Amino acid sequence: MRVRGKGKEHGQEQKHKRDVIVTTIARLMIPFIQMYALYVMVGTEGAGGGFQGGVVFAASFVLFVTAFGITRGRRRLPESWNAALSSLGLYFYAGIGLLCIILSLFSAQYLNYGALPLWEIIGRPETRGLMITFVVEVGIAITVMAVFTSIFFDLAWKGEEDKEDNKEEGGE
Amino acid sequence: MKALTASALMFVILLGALFIYVAEDIPAFGDPYSPANRWVNLSIGIDARSHVVESLNHGVVPDILVREIKNRGLPLPEGYKVERGGEEGWKGWDILIPKGEMFYPNLEKYYFIMNEGNRLWIYRYSVPVRWEERCEEEIGVPNMVTAGLADYRGYDTLGETTVIFTAGVSVILLLRRRGKL
Repeated sequence: MRVRGKGKEHGQEQKHKRDVIVTTIARLMIPFIQMYALYVMVGTEGAGGGFQGGVVFAASFVLFVTAFGITRGRRRLPESWNAALSSLGLYFYAGIGLLCIILSLFSAQYLNYGALPLWEIIGRPETRGLMITFVVEVGIAITVMAVFTSIFFDLAWKGEEDKEDNKEEGGE
Repeated sequence: MKALTASALMFVILLGALFIYVAEDIPAFGDPYSPANRWVNLSIGIDARSHVVESLNHGVVPDILVREIKNRGLPLPEGYKVERGGEEGWKGWDILIPKGEMFYPNLEKYYFIMNEGNRLWIYRYSVPVRWEERCEEEIGVPNMVTAGLADYRGYDTLGETTVIFTAGVSVILLLRRRGKL
C-alpha cells in the first residue's frame, strides 16, 4: 500500500513516498472546501445552488484522492455509502413533491411547495423558500456529489491497486 | 475530395456569417431597457389623436386599439384596466389583465402602449419582467435564478437530477470492476 508516508508497511516495500507538502496542504484545504461547498449549496441569497455545491463537494474528495491515494479515499467514502447517497438526494426531491400532495390532502399539485401545512405558521412564500433552500437544493447537491465522486472513483481505479488491496486484505 | 473541402469551407463561412448576424442582434448584457428584456414590439401603431390619448388617460382602451389588437389575433380579455406605466424615458400606459383570469390569478401587466413620434405603438411585456417583479414575493427566495430553477421549473430540475443519477448508474455498471454495487 502506498498511502502513508513512511517506509515499510505490511512488510512490503513502498514504491514512492507521499509528498509531505501535498498531504499537508490537502489536510488544511479539504475542510474549508467542504465548508464552502455547504455555503454554496444553501446559498439562495447569493450565487450558487445545488449543482454547484455538489460539484465543489465532489472536488474535495478528488483532492483527497490525489493527495492520499485511492484506497484510502475509498475507505473514507465506501461504495455502499456512495450508492445510497446518489439515490438519497433524488428521494429528497421527489419525496417533498409527494409530501406536498399527501399533506395537503390531495388538493395541491406535485412539487407545489406552498401547499405544505407549514404555510399556516410562517406564510406561503416563506414555506416555498424554506423547502427550496433546505430540501430541494440539498437533495440535488447530495445526488450530484455522490454521482461525481462515484464516476471519479470508477475512472481512477486501477487493476494493480485491486491486487494491492487483495494482498493487504490477505495480510491483515 | 477537393470539391468536398471547398463546399465545407463555404459552409463554415456561411455559418460564421450567420453567427455574426445573430450576435449583432443580441442586446448588451444586463441592459434593462433592451426590447428582449423589457418589451416586445408588436408592430401595431395607430395615430395618436387627442381623443385616443384622452381615453387612455381616463383608463379606457379606445375602440380603435381594441380592434387593432383583436385583428392581429392577440388576446384582450374583458375588464382590462389601463394605468400610467413605464419607466424613466419610457413613459406610457400599461394594459393590465384583470384579477381572476384563468391562467393569471393576480393583476398582471400585459400590454404596454407608448407614444412615439405622434403614433401609439403597442408592446407586450416579456416573461423576465414578471419574473423579476414577482419572484421574491411569490417564492421568498431573493436569488432569482434559484427561484426559477427550483420552483417555476421544478419539474425540469427534477428531470436533470434524474439524468445525472442515471449517468452515475451507467458508469457504475460499465466501469466498476469490483463486482459489488
